[in-house]
Amino acid sequence: MTNAVPPLAELVRAALAIRRRFLAMHYEARSGHVGSGLSAIDLLTYLYAAWLRPIDRFILSKGHGASSLYATLHHFGHLSEAELATYYKDDTLLPAHPAPRGVAAIPAATGSLGHGLPIAAGMAHSYKHLRATGARVACLLSDGECNEGSTWEAALFAGHHQLDNLTVLVDANGIQGFGRTEDVLTLEPFAKKWEAFGFEVRECNGHDFAALQAVLSEPPSGRPHCVIARTIKGKGISFMENLVEWHYWPMNEAQYAAAVAELDRTESELGR
Amino acid sequence: MRVDFVKAVETALARDPDALFITGDLGFNALEGIVAKYGNRFINAGVAEQNMIGLAAGTALTGMRPWVYSIAPFATYRCLEQIRNDVCLHQLPVRIVGNGGGYTYGIMGSTHHALEDLAVLKVLPNMQLFFPCANDHVAAAVSLMSELDGPSYLRLSVSAYNTERAALSEHPVTLTRTYAERADRSRPGVTVIGAGHGVQVALRALAAHGLDAENVDVFGIARFPFRLSDDSGLLASVLETKNVVFVEEHYAAGGMGESMKLALPPLSAFTLMSASYSPHQRYGSAAFHMKQSQLTPEALVSHVQARLRAS
Repeated sequence: MTNAVPPLAELVRAALAIRRRFLAMHYEARSGHVGSGLSAIDLLTYLYAAWLRPIDRFILSKGHGASSLYATLHHFGHLSEAELATYYKDDTLLPAHPAPRGVAAIPAATGSLGHGLPIAAGMAHSYKHLRATGARVACLLSDGECNEGSTWEAALFAGHHQLDNLTVLVDANGIQGFGRTEDVLTLEPFAKKWEAFGFEVRECNGHDFAALQAVLSEPPSGRPHCVIARTIKGKGISFMENLVEWHYWPMNEAQYAAAVAELDRTESELGR
Repeated sequence: MRVDFVKAVETALARDPDALFITGDLGFNALEGIVAKYGNRFINAGVAEQNMIGLAAGTALTGMRPWVYSIAPFATYRCLEQIRNDVCLHQLPVRIVGNGGGYTYGIMGSTHHALEDLAVLKVLPNMQLFFPCANDHVAAAVSLMSELDGPSYLRLSVSAYNTERAALSEHPVTLTRTYAERADRSRPGVTVIGAGHGVQVALRALAAHGLDAENVDVFGIARFPFRLSDDSGLLASVLETKNVVFVEEHYAAGGMGESMKLALPPLSAFTLMSASYSPHQRYGSAAFHMKQSQLTPEALVSHVQARLRAS
């Protein structure tokens, strides 16, 4: 059903390399959305290393995480070095939110929240009922994005049509544009909401590859899947973790140096 | 036009195995035949227009060519961002069909009127608009839309002034119809252009209000962007008369008249008859609303006569 899962230590190293490149991209571009990307990188690493087959499709509904997707695609050979080097520059195909028709591995442009799941549901419906290719579709949402009505319209649709080839991952870092999710618009009981819409729901630590493997290697249940991945915004860079500010701030030189030093320490600890 | 549309889209579904029909929970007493015949390619998306357009885009990304159906205001305004982002920016062959353009749904109230649909869609990249003039104009529009690789919108309507008047000719690509020609091209004349079913006002005026006695050419346009270089009859008429009276069942701002005025060569006069918003809202039939907007055959005749007197 899924690809052979690489050894978990390999996934940890891949995610570390992707974080390193991701931070370099943001430092060079002086671009924001650093915290949002760091919370998603482990999920993206697992998807591209272990879950997505060549026929499957992935929709990044939280379009503000585009740079983390670009870095992940590059790491796994789906985006060239020359292309990645144009990130956030004039004449690029890699703007801050994914562009339409720009990169083969990115089927849909996103950035306005609440668009990805309807598109993913349409693709999954087509692959299951119309084209019958056996392809699966994964869609990564932010938790803030679950404020959008269109997300729940699509959830109703996916549940009703029993799209068991659709896997929704929610990057539930608990922080949205201008506050904590629990303070802005409470989503809890979050799992029960997805269950009530007809999903098979699992919750896990979104930075734990063994946990992701456990919830993402389950066979189809006749229902669409939802994985609520509990994550930390800014994960991996301690001074960025769990802060709304790092949704917006670019890094200055000292911050970048500190971030890289922290990744160096993490890497040297892996070696021991 | 709905009956003609259903018949035409059945043909489209029969011809194209990748065509698909999605409705936003509308089509009672109209779509049952499609459900029975093409059930595997029919989706009722429920009362959820944003998802309906998004999922249509999703199916199109897998190679399908969906027709998406609702009533005109619901198929356009709620889901405008989905049309812009998911369909138009991706250049996908999603065919959106809005039933009840203009004041068709008169007594249903203003939430059901579609007087800005062409305005909000015409600015979107890659979007092509089709607005048939009459029931027997729908099949040609559906056929052209079936061939498009990109997005399109079909505005289905019922005019309060519906006639069965046959066109003298119809352009195969622009779908522009010639309904009447000037008796004397050497005398001053007026070119009357109706957008979609707006032309029915002029056809009623020809049939029953003396417009046929005036020196007028009457055209019905049905497609945007305009392809005026193909519409040689219309262009020749305008160059000769330098006088246009344009009729549309749509607000003036953002309407087809506004675009037409910009597209045409300099004229002596361009009179625009369009729907008008009244803050003192009262509701009635489509004919009631047309009268409130001065969109009547009588008003058209008096505009034409005023232009002829001034020429």
